[in-house]
Order: sequence, then structure tokens, then C-alpha cells
Amino acid sequence: MLAAEADQGIAAVSRPKRLAPYIALVVAVVMALLFWVLAGSKPGGTERTTSHLLGKAAPTVRSTTLDGQPFDLSRRKGSWVVINFFDSTCIPCRAEHPELIKFAEQQRSFGAEGAELYTFINRDNQAAVRRWFADNGGDWPVITDDDGHIGVTFGVAKVPETFIVDPAGTVVVYYGGAITADQLSAELQRMRDASAAATPTAVSTASVSTTGVAANG
Amino acid sequence: MAKPPSRLSRLKSWPGWLLLAVVVAAALAVGVARSGGTRSSQERIDEISQQLACPICNGQSVYESENPTSQAIRTEIGRLVREGQLNDDQILMRLEQSYSGSMLRPRGDGVDALIWALPAAAAVICAAGLVVVFRRWRGEAATAPDAADRALVDEALRRSDLEP
Amino acid sequence: MLAEALSAPIGQALLLLGMAASLFGALSLTTSIRTKNPRLARNTGTYAVMALVGAVGAAVVMERALINRDFSLKFTQQVGSPNTPALFNFAAMWSALEGSILLWLMILAIYLFIVVRRYRKRLNDPLIAWAVVVMFVVATFFFLLAAGPANAFARGGPPNMAMCCRGPNPLLQNHVLVMFHPPLLYLGYVGVTVPFAFAMAALITGRVGEGWLAETRRWALFAWGFLTVGILLGGWWSYEVLGWGGVWGWDPVENASLLPWLTGTAYLHSVMVQERRGMLRVWNISLLVATFALTILGTFLTRSGVVNSVHAFSDGSIGAYLLGFFGLIVVVALALIAWRGDRLRAPGAIDSPLSREGAFLANNVVFALFAFVVLLGTVFPLIVEALQDRKLAVAAPFFDTMSVPIGLVLLFLMAIAPVLPWRKASAELLSKRLFWPAWVGAGALVLAVAVGADGFAPLVAFFLGGFAAGSALRQVVLATRRQGFAGMLGRANGGMIVHLGVIILAVALVSANAFTRSADLSLSVGQPAAAFEGHTFALRSIDAFSDARSKGVKAHVIIDGGQAYAPALTTYTGMGRTIGTPSVKTGVGGDIYLTLVGSPVAGGSTAQIKVFLKPLTVWLWIGGGLMALGTVLAAFPGRRRRRPTDPVSADAVRIDPPSADESEVVGVGS
Repeated sequence: MLAAEADQGIAAVSRPKRLAPYIALVVAVVMALLFWVLAGSKPGGTERTTSHLLGKAAPTVRSTTLDGQPFDLSRRKGSWVVINFFDSTCIPCRAEHPELIKFAEQQRSFGAEGAELYTFINRDNQAAVRRWFADNGGDWPVITDDDGHIGVTFGVAKVPETFIVDPAGTVVVYYGGAITADQLSAELQRMRDASAAATPTAVSTASVSTTGVAANG
Repeated sequence: MAKPPSRLSRLKSWPGWLLLAVVVAAALAVGVARSGGTRSSQERIDEISQQLACPICNGQSVYESENPTSQAIRTEIGRLVREGQLNDDQILMRLEQSYSGSMLRPRGDGVDALIWALPAAAAVICAAGLVVVFRRWRGEAATAPDAADRALVDEALRRSDLEP
Repeated sequence: MLAEALSAPIGQALLLLGMAASLFGALSLTTSIRTKNPRLARNTGTYAVMALVGAVGAAVVMERALINRDFSLKFTQQVGSPNTPALFNFAAMWSALEGSILLWLMILAIYLFIVVRRYRKRLNDPLIAWAVVVMFVVATFFFLLAAGPANAFARGGPPNMAMCCRGPNPLLQNHVLVMFHPPLLYLGYVGVTVPFAFAMAALITGRVGEGWLAETRRWALFAWGFLTVGILLGGWWSYEVLGWGGVWGWDPVENASLLPWLTGTAYLHSVMVQERRGMLRVWNISLLVATFALTILGTFLTRSGVVNSVHAFSDGSIGAYLLGFFGLIVVVALALIAWRGDRLRAPGAIDSPLSREGAFLANNVVFALFAFVVLLGTVFPLIVEALQDRKLAVAAPFFDTMSVPIGLVLLFLMAIAPVLPWRKASAELLSKRLFWPAWVGAGALVLAVAVGADGFAPLVAFFLGGFAAGSALRQVVLATRRQGFAGMLGRANGGMIVHLGVIILAVALVSANAFTRSADLSLSVGQPAAAFEGHTFALRSIDAFSDARSKGVKAHVIIDGGQAYAPALTTYTGMGRTIGTPSVKTGVGGDIYLTLVGSPVAGGSTAQIKVFLKPLTVWLWIGGGLMALGTVLAAFPGRRRRRPTDPVSADAVRIDPPSADESEVVGVGS
């Protein structure tokens, strides 16, 4: 009885507008947004399918081959260059190796028109790489990258990765993961045809391609 | 009988607090001045690599991760730091170009700015809300009990004494 | 062979039994309450026992299958291995999704059974009955998960020798902590269900006063305590064993365990206001609902694979169920709070911000803000991906920047609040009570500067930490002076000891974050020791080691001419991954943390070592231990006032009215 009177007394004090419904509304909206974001997200993978270098000039690369010969990428302008990043302990790289041998032979059959293949070893143990190439074949130049600088400039995250550079020195194709010789040759052919058909000024745009094959084992 | 305020309790009022403020300010000044020196190369490398995510790990930073790619990135950071041409932000931007999406500290532009703006806005709203609410409550409580209230309480006490 | 063939059907049958029991328990108890027919509630105990048998039985069957290397189940093929020692096979159950749900169920069923048993004489009370109903509903959901999308007893086909039976992740096989960290964490996580159930019951029955709080006080405290210990053990594990270098990485899975801890801590403080003055009711219910909802949300984040984490084990389909359950909880709770809004309005108001209620309200707000920031940072990559379809990573730099100001505010509140009286404080009172604690803070600051600390935020943190320690110590000293050892029991005093633990932890964290120095050293056998920051490091030898499950290379490094510490690079033969194993020299002033990098060759003569000097790291664990001790002390009942009209002060020999100083007796009536 007294409590009721007391309650009335309190309620009689004029109440400014209540905050509670607004707070509840804000909370409900935030929850709804959270729900929408979470419901819409899919479990993501960490595969990379594109490179920041596509359509841009290839970075300067100056290093030496395993045999001690100097190598400069800019001097390879005028021919198609295929750059493969490799590590002798990486299992997909080792699985990919026979395909690269096949690809090199296919390109050799083109003669002077064929693409040049280079393997970049990324901070790897040079003796191990020499042994690998000796045991498993492959006679194209292997370029060293002792401090990993070239790999970082190319944005190499997880070997094997392959880049194709056109005769003008623009990076046109990027593959993340292991590839097959047929894929490489077909892609190269497509690039050749595209650049032959296009006018010289449009070469760079016509040859941009975001092919990415995430085929990591 | 109340004791006369001792020397100690006199100290506890404003002279003591003033001395405390001076001591604290002095110590802070010494400490902060000490930290204003230049950082060593290694410290710069560590700081920068803590702000880049390792591209193939699950959220670890380049500083923590030990895989070859992270080591290569750290070496690259070391090279750029020793060259001395670029400051920290420029080095971060250069590496962000190679490995997009790897900066761990979101930038302050575009949608990314939300991550800084929303907490700041929330903090301001909360502080303002607290101020408003306290002011309102103080206003409500400022009413002193009047005769009718006192009568109410006396009546309630009388009844509670009577009840078993 | 027969046992093997039977384990899948028996396991599934037990899970179905548990699900049916929980469902029927919920239904029968609900009907009993609605129709006011107590007879229908008679079987509640039986249902609880059947749910317990179902959950514990399923876990036992799975453990048996793992220990006996029964590879007929898909799950045992995934996480079991012939090479793992029995102990780690036991822990393999919770190393992947399905088994972790079984663990959750087991703990939930045990809690459910204890609740039903404890309140068996009071099941007629609608408050208790509805709480049990809510627990049955939650149990039904998890049984549904275990029987459906996270089916642990699915039969595997004939084992594919390439993929099968390689054992749990090698990181989960090399340290005994794997036996403790997940179960303790789950005891906390799942334990939040009980106070949540009571909160829901309070809303449903409309009895939102203080009755339900009294029931759940110790449940909430114990759940929080287990969660705290679980989180700290995780930090210790990641530091000592896993070689991640830090104690806390703001990884999404770690954040998932931190979020309910934050709202739970706010709740533990805020209930005191409701008990004393009946205020902050909506806050308390919201915090408790938020804590439980965050455990479900956290489980969703870690189990659905939507966020990248070093921890997460992902499985696509379970995410939808967990997210749906989370949405259901939020919607139901908001609806109930809206429905009972009238009753939740407090009879009083907080008179002054400079009062204990005011401090606790500010505390609630700060912790809620902290939880919001952590949640935002964790899901921000998902937001950005939804809006702009690009990948973004948010990690330690963001969280560290945000947690510094929030941490400083919390330290300040910890310094002020214990001396604040209820209702109102005068500046004079505060200046008298805070004087010595403030000087302790100043002393800590001066000491830090003398030892060489620098940087504005760390120094302010040291000052506030000392200040807060002074306040906490003042309370403990006052209480023990009056009551002897009993002065350390009870919520207020135990709480002060927990505060001391938190302060030590905070100071150690600040030191580790701000003052860690590292260097890469290249050491050679026989060369003079390399020096770094006053310590010397000499390489003694590089050895290979191998055992049944792993092999690797160890480098023996002699620190300061004394003992040799051996960081290693370990390759687990089953998984083919190489993981760095650190070696730590722990000292009171700091740790020396060594990791081996590069590709050292066994028997070779050079090794690359990374050295971290981490100050005050051991105090993290000491602070954590103090927190656990304080939690146990807080669970004891404090000294109770016999009648509410008894004077609050302990002695009244003065003729003049007691000064405001001494009328503050801690530990009474809590």
C-alpha cells in the first residue's frame, strides 16, 4: 500500500523522454548489421589469383646465374620471357619440374621465336638446387636471389609462381601455383596472337590478363 | 573528543597533493624526454615488420612468422631501412604494393577509416550519455524530502514496529 | 572387432538419447509451469540424468575409440594416430570440430545435472523451473549440432593411408597443456549458460528483482574464474611452447574467448549495484545475455572458417546453425527485455557520479566499449569484404592502439572505485583515502623511470597501476586489521586480491609490449660469445634429435656462461611441417627467449638465433595466479550482518559520530 503510494510519488515527478527505446533500437540495428555481414561471408581461402604487376613494366632484375654469369632482365627485351620462382624443398615445385622441362623443349622447337625460361631460386640453398637440376634435368638458366629481394619485388608469397613477360618488358600473365607445360604454351600462344593483332600502342592493354590458376597441391 | 588535525593529516590536504603532482610530472617529463631519441635500425625494422601481415600465414605478422617469405620481406625491410631514403610509412606502402592487403594497421581513408571512426564515435557517445544521465539524476535527487515525505516514512516505521 | 563396429551406432544412439531427454525435459517442464501442474515436473531429474548419460557416454565412446585406435570413424581417422601417445590421443578429441562439440556437450550436461540436483526441492518455483527449461533448450541445440552437422560418429570409409591417421596437429601433441587449456576454457564458456538461464527465467517470470541474482552469484563467479584461467593458460602455452613469441596475438579465436570475459567482468561488478540499490537491472541482464551470446558468436567465428586464424578449425555447415542460434538468442532476449521493461526500471537513481554506483556504471560503459572495439576489429575484414570485395587484415597494431587508452581508464577506475563509498563522496573524503595509494603510484613511477623505462603511455600505466595497487592494498589491510585472516574472504576482499593480480598482469603486459628488445644473432661454435644488452650468447653445438613422431635440429646456446638452452626446429613426420620450438630462460626481472631460424645443419658450426629480451614476463603468470586465488577467496561468504538494521561500522567507542573513514567496512554483508 505504502509502496504503491511511494511509486506514484516517484512517477509523478515529470519524466523527460526515456532513452531506453533508442538504445534498444541502436542495439537491434547493430545486431542486424552484424548478422547480415556474418551470414553473407563465406569461408575464405588464402589463394592469390592476381598479381599487382599485371600490365606494368617488369621490375629491374639484376643478378647472377648459378654458373656465375650476370643476368639482367631488361636486356631480354625483344623476346618473351617466362619467369618461374622455385624452391628445391617445395613439393609442388618439384612436381611441376617435369612440366617445365617439357615446356622448355616445346619452346626450343620454335627456335629464336621461342620463349626464354628462367628459374629464380628464392634464398635457396644453391648446392641443393644444382643437385636437383643435375638429377632431374633442365638446362635453362637458374638465377640466384640471395636476399630474396627479387621475390619480394615480384610479390612472391608461396612458390611455385610463374610470370610471363612480353617482348616490351610488360608483365602479362601470372600463375599462382603449379602449372603444366600445355597451359603455359597455350597461354603464351594466346599472348603472341593478341600482341600480333593489336596495334603497337595498344599492346599493353591488349596483353593484360588476369589469369590465375590456384592449383596448389 | 576529536583529535586536533595532526601534521600528517594536514599534509594530506592540498600541500601533499601538490607535491605529488610535482613529483609525477617531473618523473613523466624525464621518462618522456628519454624516449625521444632516434631508433636503431633493428627497432625500425621490428616496428615496420609488426605492421605487415605475412602473406601466407593466417594473420601472423611478418615480425612473428618464420617462414621463408616473411624472412625475405624482413630482409627487404632491412635493406630499405639501411638505405635510409624512405621513412616508415613509405616503406610500408612499397611493400603493400607487392603484397596487397597486407598492412595490418588499417589506413585512415575510405571504408578503412570506419575502424577508427566507429570506436571514437562510440566513445564520444558513451561519454556524452554518461554526462547527460548523471546530470539528470542529480537533478532528480536534488529534491529534498518535504514534510509529506517525512510523514510517509514515519508512518511506515510505525507500522513495521507494530507488525510481528 | 565387434566393439569397433558398435562404437558408431552406440555413440549416435547416446547422442539421440541425450537430445530426446533434453527436448522432453524442456517440454514437460514448460507444460508443468504453464498448467501449474507440479506432477509433470517430477521426471525432470530423470531427464537430466538421461541427458548426462547421453553426453558423457558419447564422449566416453569417442575417447575409447581414440585410445584404442579404432579407425572406423571418420573423426578418428582425422585426429587419431597409431603413433600418438595415449595421453595425447585422449586430448585429440577436442583438437577438431566434432570432438570439441562433444566436450561442450559433456560439460553442459554436467552443469545441467548439478543445477537440477541442487534445486531439486525447488522445481516448483517458476524462476528455477524456467531456468532449467532454458538449460534444456540450450542442451537440445547442442545435441542437435552433435547429431547433425558436427557428427562425430560418422563412419569413415576404408582408411586412405595417405590422408588418414596422422594424428592431431603436431602443435597439439607436444605439451601437456593440451589436456588443460581447452577443458578449463570450456568450463568457463559453458558455465556462463547457468547465470544466463536464470536471467532468462527472471525475465520470463517477471521477477527481475534481486532473487535471481542471489542464486547465480557463485555460478557466474566460477564460470568467470575458469574462463580467466583458461585464457591465461592459452597465453602461457602460446608463449612457452608454440613459439609464437607473444602471449596474446589478438587472433580472432583469442578474441572470441576475450569478448565474453569482458562482458562477464563488467557483469560481476555491476551486480553489486543491483544487490545494494536495485539499480542497473537492464545493464545486468543485458551484460549476462551478451556474455552468453558472445560465447555462441565466438564459437561461430572460430568454427565457421569465415575469419583467418592460426587457431581456427573450420567446417562450413555448422556456421549457419550457430549463427542462427545467436540470432535467436538476441531476438528473444531483446523481446523479453522490452516486454519486462516496466519492471526493470529501477526505483532509485544514482545521485552522484562520484560514488561507487557511478564508478560501476562507468565501468560497465568502458568494458562494453572495449568489447565493441574487439568485436569490430575481429569482424572488420568481413565487413570490408562484404562492401568492397577486397581482403584486409586487422591485427595487433589496431588492437594495441585501441586497448591502451581503454586500459588506462580501467586502471584509473580500479584506483578510485574501491575507496568510493556508496551514494556520494566528498572531495575531502576522497583526498584522505586516496592519498597513500596515489603516493604508491608515484613511487612506482619513479622506480620505473629510475630503472630506465620511457614512453608516455607505459609510464602513465605504471603510475596508475601503482595507484590502483595502493587502493587495493589499502582495502585488504583495513579488512585484515579488523578481521584477521577472515578479512581476505568474501567478495569485496577476494575482489581486491583479484584486482592486485590484474594490476600485476597489466604492468607485465605493458612492459612486455613496450620494452621488449630483440636481435638476430649469428653464432658459431668455438667463437667468442655474442653480446646483446648485457647478456652473452655462445653456441655450444648443433645436434639432431628424433623420436617416433618428430625429428629436428637443436642448437645448444649458453646464456651468460651458465646453463645451455636449446631452441629447436622440429619437423613432425606425420604432418611434414617444420615448427620452431623456443627455449626460454625465465627470470624475475625478465625472460630471455630464444628461437632458431634459418636452416641449420646438424653437426654444423653456425646457427642463426633470434633473441628476445622480454622484461617482467614471469609476473604475467604470477598475476594470473593471484587472480585465480582471489576468485576462490571471493567465493567464500563474507561476514554477514545479522540484521539489516545493525550498524555497519565494527566498533563504536567514540562519543562523536564515527568519521566517514571508518564507517567503510569491507567484506561485510557481501
